[in-house]
Amino acid sequence: MVLVSPACALIAAFVLFPLAFAVYISLTDWPLIGPYHYIGLANYRELFSDPQFRHAVVFTFTYTAIVTAPIFLVGYGLALLLRSNRPGAKIFRTIYFLPFVVGLTTISFMFVIELQPNSGSVDWLLSRLHLASSTQAWTVTHDSALLAISVIVVWFASGLTMLILTGGMQGIPRELYEAADVDGASWLKKELRITLPLLRRSIALSLIISVIGSFLAFNQFFILAQNNVSLETVVEWIYQTGFSSYRLGYATAMALFLVVIIGIVSMGQFLVLRDETEL
Amino acid sequence: MSAAGATAARPVARHRRARGPAFWAYLFVATALALVFVVPLAWAVARSFQPSTLASQHPQGADFTHLTIANYRAVFAQEHITRNVINSLIAAIGTAVLSMVVCTMAGYGLAKFRFRGSGIVFASILLALMIPFQAVLTPLFIELNYLHLTNSLLGLVLVYTTFSLPFGVFVMRNTFQQVPAELIESAEVDGAGVVNTLLRVLRPLILPGLATTAIYAFLYSWTEFLQALTFLETDGKLTLPVKLFDIETSTYGTINYGYLSSGIVIAMVPCIVLYLSLQRYYVQGLMSGAVKG
Repeated sequence: MVLVSPACALIAAFVLFPLAFAVYISLTDWPLIGPYHYIGLANYRELFSDPQFRHAVVFTFTYTAIVTAPIFLVGYGLALLLRSNRPGAKIFRTIYFLPFVVGLTTISFMFVIELQPNSGSVDWLLSRLHLASSTQAWTVTHDSALLAISVIVVWFASGLTMLILTGGMQGIPRELYEAADVDGASWLKKELRITLPLLRRSIALSLIISVIGSFLAFNQFFILAQNNVSLETVVEWIYQTGFSSYRLGYATAMALFLVVIIGIVSMGQFLVLRDETEL
Repeated sequence: MSAAGATAARPVARHRRARGPAFWAYLFVATALALVFVVPLAWAVARSFQPSTLASQHPQGADFTHLTIANYRAVFAQEHITRNVINSLIAAIGTAVLSMVVCTMAGYGLAKFRFRGSGIVFASILLALMIPFQAVLTPLFIELNYLHLTNSLLGLVLVYTTFSLPFGVFVMRNTFQQVPAELIESAEVDGAGVVNTLLRVLRPLILPGLATTAIYAFLYSWTEFLQALTFLETDGKLTLPVKLFDIETSTYGTINYGYLSSGIVIAMVPCIVLYLSLQRYYVQGLMSGAVKG
């Protein structure tokens, strides 16, 4: 069919082919330049005994575990606040989504400036609020950098969760709440018995998007803390191994590991959404 | 109170509630939150207009009586950022246009025609949806290098289009599914070809979907960092985000805050302007649950 062929050509050329190619590359010692050799499963063997890789995997899971719940809860709270479409709700919704529109890359550069110990506004604000007395080199120590980046990401991403949940909330028939009102149901009961069950699909969607996004984290760590090895994510490791150490074969073995993890999460996404896309 | 009574009393009750303490509490909380989301962005803009001696100080040092565009002048004159802004525009507009064409065609084909292999096509698009570009970064680099598409904005546009396809194809497919079949049939009876039907008859109906697709593609490519960082090499080809990274890291140890803060605002403004002027389409598209990764 002529109409779908451009889309298919692009996907074949830049997704399916590289994916198949990746399997082959991962079995070689492919350098950035020069000849390569077939080395079998050596890359994979090295991968599973590589302490730095293990550290990156554990760190990425930890980071994902830290930010997922706050992003969801803040996004859910924002969606609830604006649910009844009171005056101004549309404007507030537009505003809460702004950081997401600006993008995590630009936001990260912003906080390169604002997290500086002496000139950044974060230190200044905290000392003004008497929450911290001394200046803090935010991106240097592991815990403070992780804390700062997590807060930035929650601020950045909760707007998207809010929008997805709002979309779901608007699909819940108003009559259900009115019927519950008639029965004298409390607010909490309505939330637990009506909103949460009927919002299941949107909740799953927003969680999956945020989990995948967190697991693929790169920009914020690379831009804000690229010299801090203790904050290295899986994707950062792939980039560094491939393009700083010029070990493309080894980096690709790691990337295929990523495909497996993302594939598992995506399968969940697929199963949740299947009923809606009438496959 | 009976059900009928509750319904009848509702409009009055709601009207009164709209101005009651609950309303003011809502307004207070929502406004406070709005400040949390806006102030950091507004402060980034304010900082960029500070004289360069003040640009590297905390907010207390801010001086709103001597606002200056010196940082912008310097970043254009010293860092030649014009080139990078143009590169980013080429990448973003190119991706938006190509996505509109490819997604319209694919969406139309998938929504309105049943053909042999349409299941496979749909499955392959779903597969593409599950593979993040980060996972094929290395083979993609080798492939593009072989095709002489590294350090090339064309290569970047092709890759960006591919990875914004899943979203766009879904949006356009849903859009076309809502177009009544009779409209297309009557156009065919009138002897209009596929292209004519699309351009003349269906255009007003698919415009919202097209806008959603285009904004998504533009914002994605304007803010994309890792692929641009990997695939582009020379200074003259860099897109804005990679250029900002250069500004952050090139001067050893000390960052030129004036350059960086004005560059940030230049990167921020197109996103905000586009979003605010077309947010009806974008927000609606995202809320309809069409987002899939």
